[in-house]
Amino acid sequence: MLVAERDVRLFFQYKFLIIIRAIWFVSQIVLFGLIASRMINVQEVPDYFRYYVSGLSIMTLYSAAIFIGFDIYEEAEHGVFEYLLSLPVSRRQLVLGRSIGGGLRAFIYVGPLIAASLYVIGAVNPLNFLAALFSLFLFSFGVSGMSITIAVMIKSIDRFDILMGVLDALIVRLSTAMYPLNVVQTANPIYGGIANFNPVSYAADLFRWGTGLPDIITLDNPLLPLVGIIAFFAIFTFIGITIYDRRIEGGGWQ
Amino acid sequence: MPPIIQITNLTKKFGNIMAVDHLNLEVEDGEILGLLGPNGAGKTTTILMLVTVIRPTEGTATVGGYDIRKNPDKVRELIGVVFQEPKMLWVSTTWDIVNWHAKVCGLPNEERKRRVRQVLEDLDMWEHRRKNVHALSGGMRKRVELAKVLVQRPKIAIIDEPTAQVDVVGKHRIWNMICRLRDEGSTIILATNELYEADILSDRVAIMHKGKLLVCDTPKTLKDSIIGGDIVEIQLENDASTAIIGDLKNFKEVVNVLQIKPTLLRLYLNKVEEVVPKIMNMLLKKNVPVTSIHMSEPSLDDVFAHYTGLTIEEAQKVGV
Ligand SMILES: Nc1ncnc2c1ncn2[C@@H]1O[C@H](COP(=O)(O)OP(=O)(O)O)[C@@H](O)[C@H]1O
Ligand SMILES: [Mg+2]
Repeated sequence: MLVAERDVRLFFQYKFLIIIRAIWFVSQIVLFGLIASRMINVQEVPDYFRYYVSGLSIMTLYSAAIFIGFDIYEEAEHGVFEYLLSLPVSRRQLVLGRSIGGGLRAFIYVGPLIAASLYVIGAVNPLNFLAALFSLFLFSFGVSGMSITIAVMIKSIDRFDILMGVLDALIVRLSTAMYPLNVVQTANPIYGGIANFNPVSYAADLFRWGTGLPDIITLDNPLLPLVGIIAFFAIFTFIGITIYDRRIEGGGWQ
Repeated sequence: MPPIIQITNLTKKFGNIMAVDHLNLEVEDGEILGLLGPNGAGKTTTILMLVTVIRPTEGTATVGGYDIRKNPDKVRELIGVVFQEPKMLWVSTTWDIVNWHAKVCGLPNEERKRRVRQVLEDLDMWEHRRKNVHALSGGMRKRVELAKVLVQRPKIAIIDEPTAQVDVVGKHRIWNMICRLRDEGSTIILATNELYEADILSDRVAIMHKGKLLVCDTPKTLKDSIIGGDIVEIQLENDASTAIIGDLKNFKEVVNVLQIKPTLLRLYLNKVEEVVPKIMNMLLKKNVPVTSIHMSEPSLDDVFAHYTGLTIEEAQKVGV
């Protein structure tokens, strides 16, 4: 837990970055959201603006949780790994702590934004909402775990940056965060396939389901994305632990 | 009592470099073991293997009875490390770093706060506690790094070059604190390339060179063991010729002659009081002017030189 706490606190040391991101978020809502909701007249989405705002919350959560991967490079550069690895903490606790820390801080950071989007959306059912919130937690931890795993695997900040860009394109753009599934599906069945098996979609769907926007998307079975997110979290935490232990020693960091 | 650390054939290869080469060494409970060697000798690599940060290529070690390969979690519970290069992110403050370390090591709240303050005061760092570490000098960072372990008081403290970049006053303070840590019950491994530091602090010194252990014993035994226990340094006016060195080696009491500088010769010999007059006579006869002559006890450098034919300083230059 201390490991997690450390990551949370470190994150908030980068005040400048946080402010930039927050501004980015707000401007996205105001500019793009309003324009897009005027332009896009999708039948399945009677109110694209609300749809968009909730999706944007998820995307921001995703990019905040990814951030821990960059911390890993910062640490490699300063040799902080060696220190962390020498502590009386098991590797399992270390990786788990860091995934949770990375996820938690993303969550805290996006908290106000989620609150803002709730205000815009007008959340309805508190119980659903708690369930959705919980799955967002898991989603956030899973994304951190994924970020750590990938960072440790490829050991090069440039390649990490590129790969994150690609991933961003693949799993964020091709998710239901921005457009409903059948819109993506119609555009290209492969894209639709990706969107269908995508933690970002799961998170976005659950969030909308939780906030009581079922009139916007029809989610037959909220269990499905929930299970998807739990699996996502579990897989990356597990792989993360194994890989962190194997790959971190021996240098080769760029 | 069995040794608290038992190192057996410990080996680490980085590509073709044998950083540590079949090292065998024991550390006794409660001692300060000096690990002395020039840069690149393999001290840091040995330490990183002991704290389970890097994996040995071959061989192993037990720490407090736990095998570093099989029980790394248990091993780390016993050890605290002061790294050669302080490991810290620039965004953290002095106090944060030391306090967090103490927390992770499980110190209870009250005691932790008291000890963090005590140690930072002892190290003259209390007034800098709110500063980000990037605003600190190299020597100060080194002290923050040391503070972590002084607060932790681990069963085994491993300290890698604690006084590099630290000024003379600071050095003495750090040395005192290391001794106090030992007196409070910690076993200490002290890696250093400073002869004096190794000599005054260590109960025993292990001398390493090119990944191998040359010898390990108390500083006194090591120094006494050198054949040709007396040392004479002769400063010549002109560069010494090979012929002169050859002549000097011909004295049967002279064990070895090292050319420290072109004009400075160091002789290892027996029966110094009888030989020196003879040498002087010989040099006079050959018309080799002598500026000064100096006799001394052997140092750990001489022990090192005895095994490698190089002084530690020379080995640093070659070794890189
Ligand atoms: N991560 C590494 N990758 C490659 N070579 C290394 C690495 N770490 C150390 N070495 C090499 O191993 C040798 C021993 O280094 P080190 O253990 O740091 O010595 P010391 O601490 O005694 O100065 C050196 O030749 C060094 O260049
Ligand atoms: Mg070293």
